[in-house]
This record gives sequence, structure tokens and C-alpha cells, in this order.
Amino acid sequence: MPGVNTSSLPDIVFMLLFFFMVATTSKESDPSVKVVQPEGIRTVDMTPYKQRSEIDFVYIGKPRNKARQAEFKMGFALFLDNVAQPDVGELYNTNAIGSWKLDKFNSKPPRMSAPIESVITCVKADKDSPSVLIFDIRNELQTVDALTIAYAVRDKGKI
Amino acid sequence: MANRDIPEINAGSMADIAFLLLIFFLVTTTMDKDAAYVRNIPKKIEVVVTDPVVVEERNICAIQANNKNQLMVRGELMSNPDDISVRVVEFYQMNEAQNDPTNNFPMYSRITMEKIDENISIAEAAAEAVEETPDASQDIIDFKWKQVAEWEAKKSALNFYSNNGSNGKNELPEIHFQAHIRIEVMQETAYELFAKIQSEIEEAIFELRDGAAEDVFNESYGTITARYAMNQEAVDKEKIDLLKILYPDRFIEVTPKR
Repeated sequence: MPGVNTSSLPDIVFMLLFFFMVATTSKESDPSVKVVQPEGIRTVDMTPYKQRSEIDFVYIGKPRNKARQAEFKMGFALFLDNVAQPDVGELYNTNAIGSWKLDKFNSKPPRMSAPIESVITCVKADKDSPSVLIFDIRNELQTVDALTIAYAVRDKGKI
Repeated sequence: MANRDIPEINAGSMADIAFLLLIFFLVTTTMDKDAAYVRNIPKKIEVVVTDPVVVEERNICAIQANNKNQLMVRGELMSNPDDISVRVVEFYQMNEAQNDPTNNFPMYSRITMEKIDENISIAEAAAEAVEETPDASQDIIDFKWKQVAEWEAKKSALNFYSNNGSNGKNELPEIHFQAHIRIEVMQETAYELFAKIQSEIEEAIFELRDGAAEDVFNESYGTITARYAMNQEAVDKEKIDLLKILYPDRFIEVTPKR
């Protein structure tokens, strides 16, 4: 009985590989705060914005390091994506958002940049986090004219 | 140096290498989608308000939540947050068929093509007048031209509306321009409830637009938006624009007081 010809096996595997490489959206960064998202329906899918790099993420949650929780307003800290975390003292600091947003905006190549008003800031907040933090972020964004915000939830799916 | 045969590279391990890469990507892939509600933050403009606009109570759908996560919609306590969408739909539709001045819901007006044309010329004149004024701030000029653009959008929406659907609609029903949904939360309201309010409003507006879409175009609003996201066809854009004018989503998100 002749053996099965396996010479096309690499091709098949490569095809699968390329599929996963293309379909992968790697996480921007692993947040150091714990976020359990609330549920919602009729959401907007953020993937197209992600692919065009028109989105920045802010995480709000309790710090994973329990010892640090006491240092923050009501125990909730902020985590901004793609920046080395500043000193502990600055971790919860909504004032940092303006400069963070501008930095990210200016570091993009000009052909990619949508006007800053339409670059979405997506707030991924823990379900127990106080709403005042969201409005603090809104105020900061308003001062740098980044006028689009998105409240992240976990989509419960269509009914 | 004698001629030597060039040995072929053994490709037998190629599959192994590819498998290794494949498994790496399989493991690191996160397929979870990011879903969110997109909202606009009002632009900060420096305008001295001389006489503040009076907004009638009937035009505001206030959804309030306190520090203990208790809900109030239009002044009534609400134990089940799932009912918010019902109240929002009611807010939009109460006076839609017929205006009843005695109830506490926003009025509707029916605008005709002549009225729109008239308003376009008025708005244009106002915008040009502001441009002529010395030391007029750019924000105000932009605002005035935006108003002109809004009327132009209504004109094309009405054109589209009367060309679709059966019973020759030549008027555009329009909710009062002051009608807003106002979300008032307190400092310690949990994000879960805030997100729930957003979710319910989104559900209500979807329901309203879906009803109108079935009525006028015989297809669901979800179908239209999904198809527009795929193909970006102009006709779908027109449909969506019309539905947005019929049921506008206007929010005021009030910053919690210190």
C-alpha cells in the first residue's frame, strides 16, 4: 500500500497560518487593572476603527495589585494603552489623558490620521466603577478637542 | 574543483515549522470583539450667553440615577431598568400622529418643501451676515453654516421620503428641535447602570427607526445599516440619513455635580 503524499501539507498549514495571522487582533497592551464589562445590546463594533488605528483605549478598574487599591479615588485606577505606566502617584490622574491623547495623535503618520475630533477614545470601565471617572475623562478630552468617546460594553447579542 | 551536484534542501520539516507558527497564532489570537456606544462630546466654544434659551419641560426626557443606583425617568421612580426603552419610545411617539398640547410630550411639526426652501434662504442670509460682521468668532460662523447644511440635509431627506413608500408623503414629520434625552448620573452611580441607560436608549431608537424602515422601505433598520457597513452604497446612506432625521438621537450627558 503506497503512503499518502504529504508534500502539500505545508501549503495547507501555511494557508491556515495566514488566515490566523490576518484574523488576529493582538491586544494593545495588557491592562494592569481588572475590568469586568457590563452587558449591553445594539452596540457598535469597534473592529473597523481598530484596523484604521482610529481608536485609543482607556481602562478603568481596580488595580490588580491589591496593595495599591487604597491609593486611588474610590479604589479605581486608570490605565492608558500604549504608554509605559508613569509613577504610582500618576497612575490615576485624569490630567494625563489630554497629553496622552495628543501624543498618540501626533505619533501617527499623517496619511492615517483622521481629524482628532473623530479619533475615538474607548472607555473600558469595570461595571462597578463610579460614573464620575467617565465624566472626568470627558472633560479632559473636551479640552484637547478629541470629541468622540465610546463606552465599551460586552455585547449580549441580538434578541 | 570538480562539478558538484547542488543538493536539494530537505523541505520535510517545513510542515513542522508552519505548524509551530500556526499554533502560536492560534494561542495568541483573541477573537473577542470590542463593542461600544459611540457618543459625541460637545465642542467647547467661547460664546457669551446673553439670554439663555428656555427649554420646555415637555421636550426633555430626563433619565436620572443616584448614588444608590436608583432610577428615575421623567420624574417617576423606576424599579426595572429594562423599562427605560419603553418610556423613550413613548417620549418620541406620543405626539407623532397628532399633537396634543395638553400632554407633557414633545410636539411634532410637519414641514413642507416650501418651508424648507424658505428656511434654507433664511439660514444662508444669517450665515452671510455673521461672516460680514467684524470680530465674529470662527465658531459662530461654523455654527451658522452648519445650520444651513442641516436644512439642506432635510431637503434631500424629504425628497427621498416622498419618492419612497406608497401614500405620497410630501411632508416631513419632525420632532421639536429642542427634544433631547438627558442623562443625569451622580458621582458614584455604577458604570453598569450608566451603560444600561445607554443600552436602553440605543434599543429604543433602534426600535423606532426599525418601525419606520419597515414602513417606508419594507426592510429592517438592522439590514440597512449592516449592508451600508459592507458596501457603502449611496442609496443606503440616504435611507439611514432619512431615518436619523425622523428619529434623531440627541443626548445631553450632564456632568455630575461636585
